[in-house]
Amino acid sequence: MSDGKFTRRALVAGAGTAALAVPAAGKLAGGMIDLGLPGGPSLRPTTPDFPGKRDMIVQRIRPPLLETPMDAFREGVITPNDRHFVRWNWSMPTEVRAGQHRVAVGGAVRKPVSLTLEEIAAAGEHVSIVAVNQCAGNGRGLSEPRVTGTQWGNGAMSCAKWTGVRLGDVLAKAGLADSAKRVRFAGLDVPLTDGAPQFIKSIPLDVALREDVLVAWAMNDEALPILHGFPLRIVVPGWFSTYWVKMLATIEVLTGEDESHYVAETYRWPTAPVKPGDKDFPTVPIEAMPPRSFITSHADGDTVARGRPLTLEGFAFGGDVGLAKVELVGAGEGGGWTAACQLGPDEHGPYAFRRWSVTLPHVTGDLAEIGSRATNTKGLSQPDALVWNPSGYARNVIERITLRAQ
Amino acid sequence: MRAALFLPLAFLLAACGAAPRVEFADASITLPDDPGDLPEGPGRDSVIENCTACHSPSTMLQQPKISREKWEATVKKMVTLYKAPVDEKAVPQIVDYLLAAQAGEGDVSRETPR
Repeated sequence: MSDGKFTRRALVAGAGTAALAVPAAGKLAGGMIDLGLPGGPSLRPTTPDFPGKRDMIVQRIRPPLLETPMDAFREGVITPNDRHFVRWNWSMPTEVRAGQHRVAVGGAVRKPVSLTLEEIAAAGEHVSIVAVNQCAGNGRGLSEPRVTGTQWGNGAMSCAKWTGVRLGDVLAKAGLADSAKRVRFAGLDVPLTDGAPQFIKSIPLDVALREDVLVAWAMNDEALPILHGFPLRIVVPGWFSTYWVKMLATIEVLTGEDESHYVAETYRWPTAPVKPGDKDFPTVPIEAMPPRSFITSHADGDTVARGRPLTLEGFAFGGDVGLAKVELVGAGEGGGWTAACQLGPDEHGPYAFRRWSVTLPHVTGDLAEIGSRATNTKGLSQPDALVWNPSGYARNVIERITLRAQ
Repeated sequence: MRAALFLPLAFLLAACGAAPRVEFADASITLPDDPGDLPEGPGRDSVIENCTACHSPSTMLQQPKISREKWEATVKKMVTLYKAPVDEKAVPQIVDYLLAAQAGEGDVSRETPR
């Protein structure tokens, strides 16, 4: 199929109208934000101009990459839809007719089916789950040494309530063949060029059949916005969002390993520590999320009152399991000192953001390079030093700030 | 332009025994224009002709400073993996332009209101 695909001539012609002929009229409204990326470039525009969005950090207009400003995380544990980060690998349609949308379920199944949205919604019990949606490359721009790719600050994450049916119930409409090993998803977003790899992703069958892995149509009790994958997206709580395929159109059951580009060749990371310049090391797909935590009450360089108590607040999540604890830690390896933080209520289960706070009784001087350290119920803690990898995946180093006493 | 994106929340209030019902409405959005801002410099036209039809200039301009070899490898990846129809003769101009843009003083974040 070449309709809508780009030939070289069409690309050049398109560039002519899209880029050459557009004067200042196309400017986005909004201001600028400094993401603090070491060595820069660090400034990004912010804009409320994307549909259904308040101010978002613009990493890319086309296809859209919008980062959530950290101030959206100062209160609560649910990120509103109009602040939820946006990430598309390829361009997506900007219009979807619900009545015409179908989800094809095929591959290693007993009977391939093509399901309407109503048939999906009737496939099983409706389930809601609150889960963190986080890009595998969240925080990549903070890597030192720097690496290429989308230069996210830490805002390529959000937490929402997702509602849909279990993927297992949708698979049951077709019936799994005995040879089923993995389940692969494709959406309506397709490459602009012929022969480029489509953004398709797969998960092992045991994960696909988990009780909490969903085909979701609602996000915080609203229909999924187009920017978040209307009409349906996969939700894999605890796993990075690369697997949460949006605008779901195809479910394909595989009988073996997935050799497609976005599983076999990218979204992978080393099995053992590597250094910049290392090559040909073994890699595995980036899947389950590790724990992370952030201070939201104060920013780096803020001043605090000497001789007074100080309360710090923030939020954390355990990754693919719940949180066990959050501690405030001092500078240096091991932290020198730690202070146990009080966790907020476990309102939404193991995959959600959770708030924390801690009060230091008496500020005696500057608080240099302090950070929060989350530990999950598997005993995994945030590391003191970045686990550097050439794609900048799965950042979860302790994020540090310095507060000046006055 | 925001289309009617909200579905009735009947499914959340479903009474016992009643089949939960979800109604799906059509959805459409209009995305903002891409100003396609690229700083002036030799090779700018080559970048516009070969790169920005698929993605905004920020994809390139927001990268950390990288070597000529890394930029060459990146352009090659666009061609071999992503099948971007890049004119082979334009590659040196594209790479020169990107190196010069990165060598510029201060912060280059080009898609900005001025």
